[in-house]
Amino acid sequence: MSNTGVAAAGLQASSGVSRSGAAVFVSCLLCLAVCGCASWQAPTTIDDSSLRERAVTSTSREVQVSAAVFSAGDNQRYFSANLNDSGIQTIWVEIVNNSSQVLWLLRAGTDPDYFAPLEVAWPFHKKLARDRNNKVDAYFDSLTIASIIPAGETRSGILYTNPHRGIRVLNIDLLGQQSIIPFTLFPPVPGEVTGERVDELEQLIAASQANDYQDEAAFRKALEDLPCCATDAGSSADSGPLNMIFVGGLSDIGAALVRRDYRQLPQPLDKTQRVFGRSPDIVLRKAGQGGSAANWLRLWVAPLRYQGQLVVLVQAGRPVGGRFRAAADNKPLLHPDVDEIRSLVLQDLLYSGGLEKFGFVEGANTVTEAQLFNHPGEFSYYTDGLREVLFFITRPLGLADVEFLDWVPLLERRAAEAAAQNTNNKTDEQDRH
Amino acid sequence: MTPIDSLRAALLAVVMVSSLTGCASTGTLQGADTTDYKERLLTDADGAVRVSTSVLSASESLSIYGADLAKKGIQPVWIEVENHDDTTYWLLSPGLDPNFFPASEAADAFAPDIHSRTHREFDQHFQQLAFKNPVTPGSTVSGFILSNLDEGVKMVEVDLIASDKFKSFYFLTDVPGFRADYQEKEFEHSAYYAPDEILNYTDDAAFRAALEALPCCVSNKKGTRHGDPLNLVIVGGLEDAFPALVRRGWHPTEATYSGSVRKMITSVLSGERYRYSPVSPLYLYGRPQELALQRARNSIHQRNHLRLWLSPMTYHDKQVWVGQISRDIGTRLTIHSPYLTTHKIDPDVDEALMALIEDLAYSQFLYKIGLVKGVGAATRDAPRRNLTTDPYYTNGFRGVLFFEDHPTSLAEIEILPWEGEAGGFVEQANKRGAP
Repeated sequence: MSNTGVAAAGLQASSGVSRSGAAVFVSCLLCLAVCGCASWQAPTTIDDSSLRERAVTSTSREVQVSAAVFSAGDNQRYFSANLNDSGIQTIWVEIVNNSSQVLWLLRAGTDPDYFAPLEVAWPFHKKLARDRNNKVDAYFDSLTIASIIPAGETRSGILYTNPHRGIRVLNIDLLGQQSIIPFTLFPPVPGEVTGERVDELEQLIAASQANDYQDEAAFRKALEDLPCCATDAGSSADSGPLNMIFVGGLSDIGAALVRRDYRQLPQPLDKTQRVFGRSPDIVLRKAGQGGSAANWLRLWVAPLRYQGQLVVLVQAGRPVGGRFRAAADNKPLLHPDVDEIRSLVLQDLLYSGGLEKFGFVEGANTVTEAQLFNHPGEFSYYTDGLREVLFFITRPLGLADVEFLDWVPLLERRAAEAAAQNTNNKTDEQDRH
Repeated sequence: MTPIDSLRAALLAVVMVSSLTGCASTGTLQGADTTDYKERLLTDADGAVRVSTSVLSASESLSIYGADLAKKGIQPVWIEVENHDDTTYWLLSPGLDPNFFPASEAADAFAPDIHSRTHREFDQHFQQLAFKNPVTPGSTVSGFILSNLDEGVKMVEVDLIASDKFKSFYFLTDVPGFRADYQEKEFEHSAYYAPDEILNYTDDAAFRAALEALPCCVSNKKGTRHGDPLNLVIVGGLEDAFPALVRRGWHPTEATYSGSVRKMITSVLSGERYRYSPVSPLYLYGRPQELALQRARNSIHQRNHLRLWLSPMTYHDKQVWVGQISRDIGTRLTIHSPYLTTHKIDPDVDEALMALIEDLAYSQFLYKIGLVKGVGAATRDAPRRNLTTDPYYTNGFRGVLFFEDHPTSLAEIEILPWEGEAGGFVEQANKRGAP
């Protein structure tokens, strides 16, 4: 794939559209849906020039994909209401298929819980107004991008998705005949990200090229030497583990995570975690059912590469209480069993098709559960001190093709522990008899 | 008042009337639980690996965990893996339930204060009961995976991974204490057909023709009225198709009896998530669906429903299921269902079909996709109506999904040169000179 990474974002900053009228839009939406106090009219013409102007574009294997996230103004122009306020992020997408095969846009790869167009149209319906409702449906349908893109043709339109904040991690999987052409684009969410922030990330990515490891053993040593943990701003104390490392193109990492329903959803609390003197570059969350508390992945681009691939240092955590946390609790604490969430993320990503291999390296602090419990002020989590290293690829693999790396032999270590436990159990059993 | 408020008010009235007249039964049925879950083990073997499983009832959970897991919507599934292979296997919990509960999260539910001794005791107890990877050569490992609560029947999918190796086991298990609309039915042809009624297809063209000749739609019980379109064909069964569905979050529905109806009504009223809502019976081959599945999204208002019938056809000896997929975009009152409520379905039924196909592309087991005629087209301007008078329109195609019991990556899925939209697969395939 060409043109990957944040460079593909085109450095388009905020559209600067004010969101001050959000309450008005919501009122209007409800009014339209319920009392019909205003008659809804489809716009006679839709001007998509502003979307096209700020769209980010990527090209791969004779296919070009462009995308832009709707601003409040775009929503108003298209729908006379701001869908953002209903928890829907509208994305404009154009696919130019210059390949020789028909392609099928897999919307579940963009968002496993995306919204169907008529689902979005439903609140715009009015009671006992069949003709009018049919027109509403027809309008929403007409805006939607077609799933099937014939060879040599172009399709553009809208996808209705769950929101990402700041920079959208937009995965577009195009299924062909026994082939897949995956794209990951990073269109900014209007009004939510500054040009400086994107510049900074691009510079980090560019700077990492200077330290490109080719040798596996040297790379592994470099990973062990990366910071053990995050710190608070202005302190050097361990405030959170760095328990995973992602290696691969930013596009490939993004595709795998988005396919498993991770969304870029940074929160103010994330800024308290610092590595390399800065807050996380990207923060993804995966919510539990019903919008409950989410697991998080805080990502920092590391100042090194491996055979040209990006290396990203990751803090994987889940909030204490998880899905059972009180809704009013808006300051999620890291659950101390950080190895469990590390294992959970790996298991989840194995189903993304985007993992090629994984292994473990040293480098994090080792803290036992007893230490944590006996010194509650000193430690905030416990761990075996290992980091999981995940290698991502572009061409998806099946579950039977993932390679286990023989680095730190965690698997063997666990296996030996399990075997010992097994023997102990048998001995206990014999003793009982 | 919003439409939902109106609906809630109307449903509240229905609930009150039901309560007063006693026409609703009392909530979830609590049957006689077996005392030992290991007495009802289901076991299967693949080569040198053997897997057994059993699902706990609510009272068994309470007894073993010392906490009312069912009340929190958690259901422990006991799994034992006997590994006589020469490689180490790891069990992947998301295969059993993409939204499973880690042991520590379940412990949090019963002892919210993470620093308390009670929390530590819960956590250690739950961790001790949990299934612990890995399963080394020659060893046997057993323990619980904490899944979302299923009532009636549970689909248990056990995915085991090793370096460059994979094994999959699938079980349909009864959950004691509940009942489901298909609990006692079989999933084999023998339950419905005589051996000479089964027709095995090995020729693609003949199979395609047979699929096109299927009825367009489901019917009512008497077979006098057409309902939703039969827009889905699944080639595969317990070993391959159902595991794929489980991995993508599909699970069986609860029975359509009044207890579940009342729970659904309560759910609509409160706006709370309820994993189940009743799926009313529709008819094909003169009988209601063998299996009704659903995939809940964020609320009861956002669900996808799937009904499946086992057909008298096989394709290269694999089962062929015929079905109907629809997407709810709301819930509404109706006088056309004895349950008084029904799902407002997305009238663009092709959208729901395409969404299912696209989603199952990520299931690992889907290896081939085709589209055939047979539903009959209906336009938006002249829609057809289902049995609860919901309009729907369609391009008239049914999706045909072929499954195998080993992983196929996204980059290996084959698209059959059958039917499709204008400019679609047939035309493209013809351009390439494909058959």
